[in-house]
Amino acid sequence: MFFRLVADSFTRRPKRKLLTLSALALGMAVATAALSVSLDVGDRLAQEFRSLGANLLVTPQADSLPLEIGGVDYRPANAGAYLPEADLGKLKTIFWRFNIMAFAPILDVPVQAWSPASKNWSSPGVAEHTTLIGTWSDHNVPIPDGTSYETGIEKTNPWWHVDGRWFKEGADECVLGISAANKFGVKAGDVLNVQVSGKTGWKPLQVVGLLSTGSPEDNAVVAPLSIVQALAQHPGEYRRLYVSALTKPEDAFARKDPKSMTPEEFDRWYCTPYISAIALQISEELQGTDVRVIRRVAEGEGAILSHVRTLLWLVTFSALLAAALAVGASAAASVMERRTEIGLMKALGAGSGLVGVLLAAEQLLVAFVGGGIGFCIGIVPARLLGQRVFGFTPEPRVFLLFVVLVLAALITLAGSAFPLRRASKYDPAPILRGE
Amino acid sequence: MMSQSPMFWRIVRRLLTANYGRLFVILLALGAGAAITSSLLNLQIDAKKRLTTEFRALGANVIVAPRDASASSGGATLPQEMLSKIPAENAGKPVPAVGFLYLIGEVAKAGQVHHQPAVIAGVDGEGITKVRPGKRTEYSSELEQAANACEVGAKAAEQFQVHAGDSLHLRNQGRVATCEVFAVLATGGPEDSQIFIRLAIAQALAELPGRISLIQASVTGTPDVVQSFIAALANRLPQADVHGIKQLAEAEGKLYNRISGLLSATVVLVLFLTSLCVMAGMSNVAIERKNDVGLMKAIGGSVRRVVRLFLAEAILLGIMGGIVGSAIGILGSIWLGKAVFGVAARPRWIVYPVSVAITVVVSIASAFPLRRLASVRPANVFRGEA
Repeated sequence: MFFRLVADSFTRRPKRKLLTLSALALGMAVATAALSVSLDVGDRLAQEFRSLGANLLVTPQADSLPLEIGGVDYRPANAGAYLPEADLGKLKTIFWRFNIMAFAPILDVPVQAWSPASKNWSSPGVAEHTTLIGTWSDHNVPIPDGTSYETGIEKTNPWWHVDGRWFKEGADECVLGISAANKFGVKAGDVLNVQVSGKTGWKPLQVVGLLSTGSPEDNAVVAPLSIVQALAQHPGEYRRLYVSALTKPEDAFARKDPKSMTPEEFDRWYCTPYISAIALQISEELQGTDVRVIRRVAEGEGAILSHVRTLLWLVTFSALLAAALAVGASAAASVMERRTEIGLMKALGAGSGLVGVLLAAEQLLVAFVGGGIGFCIGIVPARLLGQRVFGFTPEPRVFLLFVVLVLAALITLAGSAFPLRRASKYDPAPILRGE
Repeated sequence: MMSQSPMFWRIVRRLLTANYGRLFVILLALGAGAAITSSLLNLQIDAKKRLTTEFRALGANVIVAPRDASASSGGATLPQEMLSKIPAENAGKPVPAVGFLYLIGEVAKAGQVHHQPAVIAGVDGEGITKVRPGKRTEYSSELEQAANACEVGAKAAEQFQVHAGDSLHLRNQGRVATCEVFAVLATGGPEDSQIFIRLAIAQALAELPGRISLIQASVTGTPDVVQSFIAALANRLPQADVHGIKQLAEAEGKLYNRISGLLSATVVLVLFLTSLCVMAGMSNVAIERKNDVGLMKAIGGSVRRVVRLFLAEAILLGIMGGIVGSAIGILGSIWLGKAVFGVAARPRWIVYPVSVAITVVVSIASAFPLRRLASVRPANVFRGEA
């Protein structure tokens, strides 16, 4: 009988139920869309911030003080310490190895350069001082666990644009900074001769691309690391390493000094991808290094990211609240209009409890169906949004469906509770008389 | 509608006040819709503006350098007066600008004989911490007031074994100076191995009075605003090379577009679905009026008049719900702005009429199912047949 009554209320007035259902489905669609955007996009946004470039800098611990002005190191060629390139694979063995998005070692030496292409009657080719930067463009790094990892300067410095192409690893090729190219009168395809200052022997490099960076590298020559190591007579060594890591914005806990933490606190700190924790893990892996956080990038990123995330969550919660109120109102209305029915049931001897359970069962059924439909509706705009803004499609989550169904049930029950309580106090006689 | 008889308005009033529970439910749904509309619209406008300010945590994004500064010479300089030619404000936001003069001198902790080469940077101008963000691991505001105060990069401080309060001895080609360390700075950049002193001392050490190496400025605004600032400044300072920092410009442009696109899309999506949701909830309430319609028709009300009655009711409800809800929403967004950015969102009054209008439209649209009531047959209604 109970189920017959419930089923009856659906079949007798399908249009009314349809309206309640659609209000619920739409409300839950809002919830689904907003929640899935908040859940997926937060992670995605952190990756977008990697376009700011590296946030960690690794230098030799025993290094002398760099004399760097405008990106040019004025130390003599042999001053300072170097680090072994062979160790770099260990970067992908640290605890947060999957958060290391890219890294690129740098070896720079002052050189003289001239190009036969610029030689003509009016301006004979003159050797000019410049900086030769050795790095990886797209390098396969062997990792101790037997796999390998592709990375390079293109990934750590995404704002570097090459007109032409990047050099091939190990080839006698280079890309030339755009200002240097203008000075030398060289274009892509020409040959540039370089000689490390204070050493002898010219090395011809083919210019395969022109590099624009908007920074001092525009005046430099960038060549494969192995070539520069040979020229500088520092085989298998580099001077600086840029690491781009995906991090969690620093909070009050992250700013605590790890040395003053209790062992439990230290474990929690160590196992959270804070930039300072990743820096510590890298310096543990790469012996004799000094890992520093590039503050401007790390802190700017942390501040903006945490604000945007909070903003998204607030939008989500306010959307949930509005949807809940609208759905609750709709549920309330659907109970209110059934006053006569309730009066009749009570006149026939049903207790307030039974009436309440009956109506609640009905509302729950609506909630589950509506929640399910709403989930399917809401997932579509969320996917479109992800695709349009970030070019990726968020995966539908089963967990989210569960949350949405529970939410729908809670909201409809809460919306019906108030009119139901009033209904339980009804005196059947005046209602049936139509008063 | 104004030409209607007093009777019309009396009926409307009765329609509204007959059932307070119903009125409350409708106003709740409409008000919630209006509140979220106004607060999201307000917050969205504000957040986009705030975002450009947030990006300045990344530091300077505009550089003024000498035109012929080739990498090898490093010797070209600019006149110091150029610093005063940088506008102090752009589009209502202050523009911190700092002039730097770099030289390589020899440095030692006071009292020690062994000097080591280090980069010494003379700084002058407002907002050094904004232009060159970093973390001061040691800092004393008292010592900062001194005429020979200096700030030491973390790596340099380690090398020379100095802390805030110590003094450094600087020398360059026979010219000497001393300075008192007031802060130790960690930036992760080349600043970590530099020593920052007052510009006048650096100029004396380098024997370059009235000259600076470059100016760094931090301009707040969307990528377009920054670009036009650079163009205007380049026009004003033809003898210098004015350029943006590509690393920041590109990333900021990209992130700004992503984040503001995300915000707009989320807000539009939420608003659209919320209005639909409110509409469906309202329609549910509206259909309940069958009995009223049946009665009106039975006593001779024409379909047009009946529909007009309900439209008038819907508009009134929309205005009421909209006015109250939007006000709550705007107040809410001020609080939300504070929660997110630490600064209260400025209410933008244009949002208020817009969100009231949207609420009225939603309210009218949700009275739409009443059109079907035109076909209601009074006799059926009174017999209790649905």
